[in-house]
Amino acid sequence: MDTTKPLSMKIRKLPPCRAACPADVNVQGYIALIQQGKFKEAVELIRKSMPFPAICGRVCFSPCQDACTRKEIDQPVGVRYLKRLAADIEREQGRIKPEPIPKIHNQKVAIIGAGPAGLSAGYELAKRGYPVTIFERMPEPGGMMRYGIPDYRLQKYVVANEIAYIQDLGVEIKTRVEFGKDVTFDTLQSQGYKAIFLAIGAQLSQKLRIPGEELEGVFHAVEFLRDIALGKSFDLGEKVAVIGGGNSAVDAARTSLKLGAKEVIVLYRRSQKEMPALPYEVEAAEKEGAKFQFLVSPKQIIGESSKVKAVECLRMELGEPDASGRRRPVPIPGSEHLYEVDTVIPAIGQVAETSRLPTILVGEREWAVAADPLTTETKIPGLFSGGDVATGPASVIEAVGAGRRAAESIDRYLNGKDMREGREVEIVETTWVKDMGKITRKPERYVSSHVDIGRWEASFEEADELLARNKETAIFEARRCLGCGPCTECLGNEELCDADKAVVDETLCSGCNLCAVVCPYGAVRKNDAGVAEVDEDLCKGCGICSASCPERAIAMKKFSEAQILANVETALGR
Amino acid sequence: MVFRPKIIGFVCNWSMPKEVEISSPREMRGYPKMHVLRVMCIGRVDPVIVLDTFAKGADGVLLVGCPTPDCHYVEGNIQAENKVKVLKKLLMLTGLEPERLRLEWAYATEVEPFSTVVDDFRNQIIKFGQSPLAGGQSDERILLNVSAAKNAVADFRLRVFTGREEELTEAMNVYGEIIPQGEFDNLLDEIVNEEFLRHKIHLLTRQEPLSVKEIAANMNVKPAMILRHIVDMRRKRMIALDHVEEATPLYKALEVQ
Repeated sequence: MDTTKPLSMKIRKLPPCRAACPADVNVQGYIALIQQGKFKEAVELIRKSMPFPAICGRVCFSPCQDACTRKEIDQPVGVRYLKRLAADIEREQGRIKPEPIPKIHNQKVAIIGAGPAGLSAGYELAKRGYPVTIFERMPEPGGMMRYGIPDYRLQKYVVANEIAYIQDLGVEIKTRVEFGKDVTFDTLQSQGYKAIFLAIGAQLSQKLRIPGEELEGVFHAVEFLRDIALGKSFDLGEKVAVIGGGNSAVDAARTSLKLGAKEVIVLYRRSQKEMPALPYEVEAAEKEGAKFQFLVSPKQIIGESSKVKAVECLRMELGEPDASGRRRPVPIPGSEHLYEVDTVIPAIGQVAETSRLPTILVGEREWAVAADPLTTETKIPGLFSGGDVATGPASVIEAVGAGRRAAESIDRYLNGKDMREGREVEIVETTWVKDMGKITRKPERYVSSHVDIGRWEASFEEADELLARNKETAIFEARRCLGCGPCTECLGNEELCDADKAVVDETLCSGCNLCAVVCPYGAVRKNDAGVAEVDEDLCKGCGICSASCPERAIAMKKFSEAQILANVETALGR
Repeated sequence: MVFRPKIIGFVCNWSMPKEVEISSPREMRGYPKMHVLRVMCIGRVDPVIVLDTFAKGADGVLLVGCPTPDCHYVEGNIQAENKVKVLKKLLMLTGLEPERLRLEWAYATEVEPFSTVVDDFRNQIIKFGQSPLAGGQSDERILLNVSAAKNAVADFRLRVFTGREEELTEAMNVYGEIIPQGEFDNLLDEIVNEEFLRHKIHLLTRQEPLSVKEIAANMNVKPAMILRHIVDMRRKRMIALDHVEEATPLYKALEVQ
């Protein structure tokens, strides 16, 4: 045992997928429900952790899928596809309309920014019975989910639908209220808000800081995508250069093509391997006709009568790894060359608008708010901050995780509880799979919609027919899940399983070790005293040991043999 | 009167069709043909429970689980297969048709095959007619046999043998040997027979002290065989000499601790 760790450190045994999820979504649990065709129940289980099943089913970078044990055998389980399908089925069949949660607390909470972090914090606090008001600057809530991610990846009605669920719970969202102008910390406090969560995101594009950036025909990606979402039209000309290698760059490139640009070239200063953009997005952009140039960096934008004419670039080579672990690009002297273009879209990153915030909030990094990553506390008591504004541009799911942590902190703060107690947990990845060779190969059976892009080229409309609403494929796909972790307490059948566990009657056990032989998970074995012992963290409650024990020394806690027999009698009795 | 067989279906939680919204022990909606009892895994159904179900008068028992390799609990279905193999051998000895017990595979999503399986099984049971253990008057001889079989599967030897089948025939034992499947099955037959006989002797002598000849006549087995079992059973403290009547020893069962 490692004695250096504090004793209070909780240990959680989780399957790799759930361990990888920043928002602690019970992945194995909802996959188990999909296996049984219980799509709505699966969505409800996801909603226990976060309010955006359909959104994350579309745009999440799915660390769960990357962590899946199945990848060692054939391919990982298509977790994101399954989540999306389950959420779509739920929406199509009529979204579950939750009852408003009674407000059992009277301390009001204000949240600034209705993006993924703010919304999920509001969601979590509302579930705990707090009156929550979210203030949003834009005409519609959603943040980057609405104004950052283009329509073809994430449809507006999907975002609206999931936000409506949060509103149904009783969260109030006030739009067109700008923080720093319409409301300030002082006004909020005087209005009786006892805690504030600042989640305004990173809304400014980082500048290239090269000559020519102010020319007509230079649109920065965040603003460009936001204006498109607001319905503004653009004249991009024939040729567009996008600078950057992240998701915004690819979004800008694909959007430009859909707006009618004939040629789109993405210029990235590192190689393809280092690109932060989702690989399938890059693939889709390439199929739609976008060209990618790697190891090039712009030196200046050349204009003619104040309009963009060309972009001059330098070739790069990769040097030593930098702080991010990626190899640093180094310019090759004398390698200047020109790309003639009509539009330049820089998409090299985003920063938070920190200029309007009190300087005490801003940390060493002037583009972000300094907040504790675990508790989201800032230097001002009662003021919490998380999401992109504190971390720099990240993902929806990370923002959701921050929102959840903030909600927990606000709850503790308002009740005068310790901020950290029991929150630092050690996560141990568990998997019963020891011998990969023994597992039958079952390659993925679905064709996910992002690969087959042929039919929705150059269109903003979601190609509904491409939504493989094929439940059966989904269930087959879900069955590929190995169920690595312990019982996930999905409560797929509350009445029966209720997260059942085996218990050993030590006086009956003869130590024959048969239970260890039949247990698929190694959850029960003979201990040093020579009697069987159940590891409750690994037991999934199947009951096979109980049905096999020669001394009948193992019983199930909740669904015992006697219970089964009583049911048999009832059934035969009529 | 139309014969309505009483069929108990143990269905694994993961292969229960979603459309069949039932909770134990109510009848399946749309399937008034079978009483469905949900279990977490089909490997969780103890052979004792199956024989008890027959003893209580069920006309048929259907077990439904997930097919390999889709068992939710990895190899619970294989455990079920092994158990059913032993149960069928025992049913053969009891006088009940072994076909009154069936193990089937089904997927949760496919209602069609599930109902086909149920219908098919039901038709078979209708052909067999009512179980001799159903209704008010059950066949005492078969009931005794079923009780003997139940005790046999509750006993250590058969359970260890069933539980370790995979280990013995696939993995190596401590001596580095693998028992070929055929050899294992022969051995299993032998053990099933022996255990059934011993537990039947035990049940018979529980009622009254009996001689070897009386037991042999009752069970229609050679007296020499009975004597061999009695020797073994005495060593296992299942039976003891009660008294001797004119040079004939009479044996009485001991209650198993």
